[in-house]
Amino acid sequence: MERETLEVDVLIVGGGPAGLSTALRLAQLQKARGGEPLSIAVVEKAREAGAHQLSGALLDPSALAELIPDFKAKGAPLAAEVTNDNIYYLTPRKRLRLPITPPPFRNHGNYIISLNLFTKWLAEQVEAAGIDLFWGFAGQSVLFDGNRVIGVRTGDRGVGKDGQPRGMFEPGADIQAKVTIFADGVRGHLTKELMRTLQLGQSSEPAQFAIGLKELWEVPKDRLAPGTVIHTLGYPLRQEEFGGSWLYAMPNGRISIGFVVGLDYKDPLLDPYSAFQRFKQHPFIAGILAGGQVIRYGAKALPEGGWSTQPKLFMDGGLIIGDAANFVNSLRLKGIHLAMRSGMLAAETAFDAIRAGDASAHALSAYKARVDASAIKSELYPVRGVHQAFAGGLCAGSAFAGLAMLTGGLLPGDMGGHPGHTRIKRLEHYYGMAKQDILSGSNAVAPDRKLTFDKLTSVHYSGTHHEENQPVHLLVHTEVCHTICGEEFGHPCVRFCPANVYEMVDDGQGRRRLQINASNCVHCKTCDIMDPYGVITWIAPEGGEGPQYDGM
Amino acid sequence: MKIAVCIKQVPTREWQPRLNDTKTWIREQEASYEMNEPDAYALEEGLRLREKHGGEVVVCSAGPARVQQVIREALARGADRALHVEDDALGAADAFTAAQALVPAMKEEGFDLILTGLQSDDQGHAQFGPVLAEKLGVPHSTIIMEVVVESGSLKVKRELEGGWFQYVTMPTPALLTIQSGINQLRYATLKGIMAAKKKEIKKVTPPAGLASRLKVVALYAPQKSKQTVMIGGAAAEAAHELVRRLREEARAL
Amino acid sequence: MILVIAEQKDGKLNRASWEAIAAAQQLAGGQMPVKVAVFGKNVSGVAAELAGAAVAEVLAADADALGTYTPDAFVQAAGAVITAQAPQYVILPHTYQTRDFVPTLASRLDRALVTDVIALRTAGGQAAFARPMFQGKLVADIVPQGPTPHLVTVQIGAFRADAVQKGQAPVNAVQAPVDAGAIRQRPEAPFQEAKQAVDLSQAERIVAVGRGIKSQENVALAEQLAQAFGAELAASRPICDNGWLPMERQIGSSGQTVAPKLYVAIGISGAIQHLVGMKGSRTIVAINKDAEAPIFEIADYGIVGDLFEIAPALMAELKK
Repeated sequence: MERETLEVDVLIVGGGPAGLSTALRLAQLQKARGGEPLSIAVVEKAREAGAHQLSGALLDPSALAELIPDFKAKGAPLAAEVTNDNIYYLTPRKRLRLPITPPPFRNHGNYIISLNLFTKWLAEQVEAAGIDLFWGFAGQSVLFDGNRVIGVRTGDRGVGKDGQPRGMFEPGADIQAKVTIFADGVRGHLTKELMRTLQLGQSSEPAQFAIGLKELWEVPKDRLAPGTVIHTLGYPLRQEEFGGSWLYAMPNGRISIGFVVGLDYKDPLLDPYSAFQRFKQHPFIAGILAGGQVIRYGAKALPEGGWSTQPKLFMDGGLIIGDAANFVNSLRLKGIHLAMRSGMLAAETAFDAIRAGDASAHALSAYKARVDASAIKSELYPVRGVHQAFAGGLCAGSAFAGLAMLTGGLLPGDMGGHPGHTRIKRLEHYYGMAKQDILSGSNAVAPDRKLTFDKLTSVHYSGTHHEENQPVHLLVHTEVCHTICGEEFGHPCVRFCPANVYEMVDDGQGRRRLQINASNCVHCKTCDIMDPYGVITWIAPEGGEGPQYDGM
Repeated sequence: MKIAVCIKQVPTREWQPRLNDTKTWIREQEASYEMNEPDAYALEEGLRLREKHGGEVVVCSAGPARVQQVIREALARGADRALHVEDDALGAADAFTAAQALVPAMKEEGFDLILTGLQSDDQGHAQFGPVLAEKLGVPHSTIIMEVVVESGSLKVKRELEGGWFQYVTMPTPALLTIQSGINQLRYATLKGIMAAKKKEIKKVTPPAGLASRLKVVALYAPQKSKQTVMIGGAAAEAAHELVRRLREEARAL
Repeated sequence: MILVIAEQKDGKLNRASWEAIAAAQQLAGGQMPVKVAVFGKNVSGVAAELAGAAVAEVLAADADALGTYTPDAFVQAAGAVITAQAPQYVILPHTYQTRDFVPTLASRLDRALVTDVIALRTAGGQAAFARPMFQGKLVADIVPQGPTPHLVTVQIGAFRADAVQKGQAPVNAVQAPVDAGAIRQRPEAPFQEAKQAVDLSQAERIVAVGRGIKSQENVALAEQLAQAFGAELAASRPICDNGWLPMERQIGSSGQTVAPKLYVAIGISGAIQHLVGMKGSRTIVAINKDAEAPIFEIADYGIVGDLFEIAPALMAELKK
């Protein structure tokens, strides 16, 4: 069967806030400046707008106000304006209110949103501007001409587990573009390919990540005033771990609750999912959720490394934006506005390049200059290295964060850092005893199926769906799993995966074998990031599959 | 051959039911939607018949503005144009109402063949097809697994219960309700999606005076009526007791 | 009056007709007479059989044109009888044949039709009919609107044939004129086809096996148990993931949704992904060694124990 091809001026890979802002800005530039109309395409692996979008989310509206000044009149779905900020330090039974809300946690003028609904709305604006949006098309690989990016090949559809066509096989399409903009999100698998092939990470620090787990709840309507924002530090995490929680109250008793754990923890037996469940059992949180009902679950990695971990943002024929470029302010727990702004700046650069007929790395370097002159740098640069400082523990990190804010970044900010997965310790190093003793006690929370749930039940609430009859989209060198990993780390994939994808099962001959339940995957990318041997690679499953984050 | 395919937009399989305040309907706004699966097979069958016999495929749908999603998808897969009877109230319409809503516009078109899924994955009345056929004054057959077009007539394979089938012949124009699995669904292509934007979607308002025949007075999650009977004892005893109860109490054997 | 339309084929009564009679008797609650009508050619034997129910009358509509089922003929015949009898409700079993002609019948009579009813309820003094919606995720209580008769079809297995009150009813012939020239469908003789694939949704009984089976060799045990039950063999996802059984036998959110008469879950803990695919089954048996397994919450009968002991004991018992 013949492979479909398409040629466009600008191809945007990823239909999140970054990619959609790029598309909309391009349409605006086209309209404002006229001339030969640009052909623009957006491809996105989710089956519909917003389906894979998961965030807290608090929206700093600064970029939105520039992109769509009349966003309120256009019906932007802003669930609630933030009315009060609260930050607590939790001990196992108590909470200590921080006397003042530190500046990065102040959210006056920000909005609580569902990123799923916000993205849907943004996509409507893009669609209305006449841009072609292709949902359900996963980018599979980057098309190169030498070192020049010339587009993206989308994934084959209709391939069976055995690699043979099943049903109506449809080979992936080659979409060629003068400029390809990579907005493939946190740990984007195409951006990862670019970084490896073009060595885009040479002069930046190793990226840092965290995993965010989220549940959407409905509680009695008078429980919390809409607009209430609560953040917590502490329990159930320890001093050595980076992380904390959020709890945002929306109208009609809707609560967004989530838990973040830095993917640079040392304890090989830590299970971020269990930590989240345990957190919900804290009297303060359990009281808020009592009598409520969980309606959605999801998880997603988030970039934590900040400014100094951004890769080289431009190349011949290509740009990287949004989460894929690690543009997240981990101190403020915000990235949507940065994603949008980077998309807008990329759009301006791509537009100029196409008009000038020059999409070389030199021409596209204007994007980096724009980023450096923008609010992205003025926000991220002063707090560079904050996450890396947390590697020294919560107190050191907090102190550093405070200083960084106060001094505007006049600190030895470039602290270096190591990829988070290299910090996980071997069982015997961490626990100082034989692994049998450690593994005998389980630290999992026994689910009550009201407040706490097992992973598989939560997977159900993510709405994730994959055709079972397709190749496994998690490539694992399993010889490691079946030999040294059990001894050294006790199979941490079983714990860090928030969706029960990885399971060690009895192989019937008294040994344990890795079973990959690929269809549970919620596309969070944690395994690709956190496995200590770097033997797991996440690739895109068939387009149109994955989670269904309605209202998240 | 002028083929109509009636499609419905339904909540996705992964959707978690959320009820409105009166607990008589779902919160339509909060659901995610997709094309009713049997309708997707009907569409594929329509496309295949057109490819074989020529003509056009017109997708017809009744519902609020949101159903454009599945109309566009059908156009992207290859339908030629669309007829959308649009009204917010049609989101909760029963089969009878939906059929009535479509009748005037479809009558005007004069289709040779009308295809639709055997039932919807949301309300699941399994009434829409035969009711529409009656209103259009054409013969019908249901749960079809094969369609052969002959001159002026159709020969179809109708599924009966328990692995039985029969062939039925009828004159055209006619209406068929299609069983899932009759064919293999094609994927939408990039060019198909782009072409769909240029295809005509004719919007029509429904005829006046549509009234639902079926009033939902309560909507709720299924309740288990029986308590679990735990059977104890040694294996042989437990087996004996279970089989006895299955025979005498549950009559499941 | 409530009119039940029984279903027969070649002089053989469809057993589901008894379930429709049971539903009608329950709806009548002794306050309304129930009649049963049967359509076909040479239906006197079927009519006599139906006369064993405690109903007011069995109406036998005998006509050549009803010998072979066509929707056009049945709509005409049933329409004429309903119009003449003027019942308040018409009740039928929700069979493929019912699905083929009754919506047309309701449309021609211009009356409401509630399909696939699983229970009778009342709402504000009116009869309401419970039926599944959204693929069984929800149940709706429905009150049909507009003038009577209201037509109702009942899901197979939802009402119990053995609950029919027995009696002795008169059989009367009834006119059901059919204009043979108005029959547009020309059916051929039914034929049975070798199954191309297992269709679990059609299975009456299913034995499903889960992770508790431990190894591939033990799948044979489950197969034997399925045979003893006269059931199809199915599985939860881990079993199919391992390739121990083909994917077409997988039950649950990424497999098939089934609602058989009997579902025997052995070694299945009852993850929600599995439950959504089978919780509509009429009778559910769970055998699991973990007493806390969620499967027990939806089971009608549960045995906590070792399936390797219980399965052979069950097979021995079933052979008795």
